[in-house]
Amino acid sequence: MRETAARATSSGPGRVLIAVYAIFALSATARATVQIATKFTEAPLAYLLSALAGVVYIVATIGLAGHGPGYRRLAWAAVGFELVGVLVVGTLTVLDTADFPDDTVWSVFGRGYGFVPLVLPIVGLAWLHWTRAPR
Amino acid sequence: MIQALVVVVWIALAALAVFGIATTASNRPPGRPHKIVTSVVVALLLVQAMIAAVRVFGGVQLPESTTFLIYLVVSVCVLPIGLQFATAEPTRWGGAVLAVAAIATGVVVWRLQDLWVVGGA
Repeated sequence: MRETAARATSSGPGRVLIAVYAIFALSATARATVQIATKFTEAPLAYLLSALAGVVYIVATIGLAGHGPGYRRLAWAAVGFELVGVLVVGTLTVLDTADFPDDTVWSVFGRGYGFVPLVLPIVGLAWLHWTRAPR
Repeated sequence: MIQALVVVVWIALAALAVFGIATTASNRPPGRPHKIVTSVVVALLLVQAMIAAVRVFGGVQLPESTTFLIYLVVSVCVLPIGLQFATAEPTRWGGAVLAVAAIATGVVVWRLQDLWVVGGA
């Protein structure tokens, strides 16, 4: 491997990260699908948000698992969006729970998921930074 | 669900997670021991899934039987996929990947336990 190349995000500890992302992609998407299919009218905003989170996790998993600058950009965008999402939704749900009658993955900074949704994007961004091409 | 079996499954999953993390910590790539240990745990999960499925299809009423059955399938599938992914690259991190899969399966079993609310049974 040349010194100037970025290291693969899908190698070494990156595989552990991808495993966690894949599990969140599966669980968030499955949860949103069930919510939207069975009780969409109860809390449309929260369920659409669940679906969006699921898609973001899927895209992040693909970005981290793929090779090359395109996948790396995809991963940056998805993981960055994920961090913004969990911070915004987390803050909104802490301040005012009325608009979120049903929990999403990102509610209260991911409390329902052991706060992993809050830690995950930070680790993800750190890993993307760590494996980037040296200048 | 059988309470005693759930406890056994949980202990097996915890042991697998600890084993995986231990091999990562001691810089050992995944190998035959990982495959054997994972197979044993998957066998336990299969037994649990078959007993639960037989009881659901045999007439046990659950409030969310579809969700329960989906979780049941997931509980068996995560570890084999995780093992595949863990052994695909022979580095120390394979064990940690297995540990993640084991912990996720533990959460799934916990959800199964939650969904198993039967009137009496």
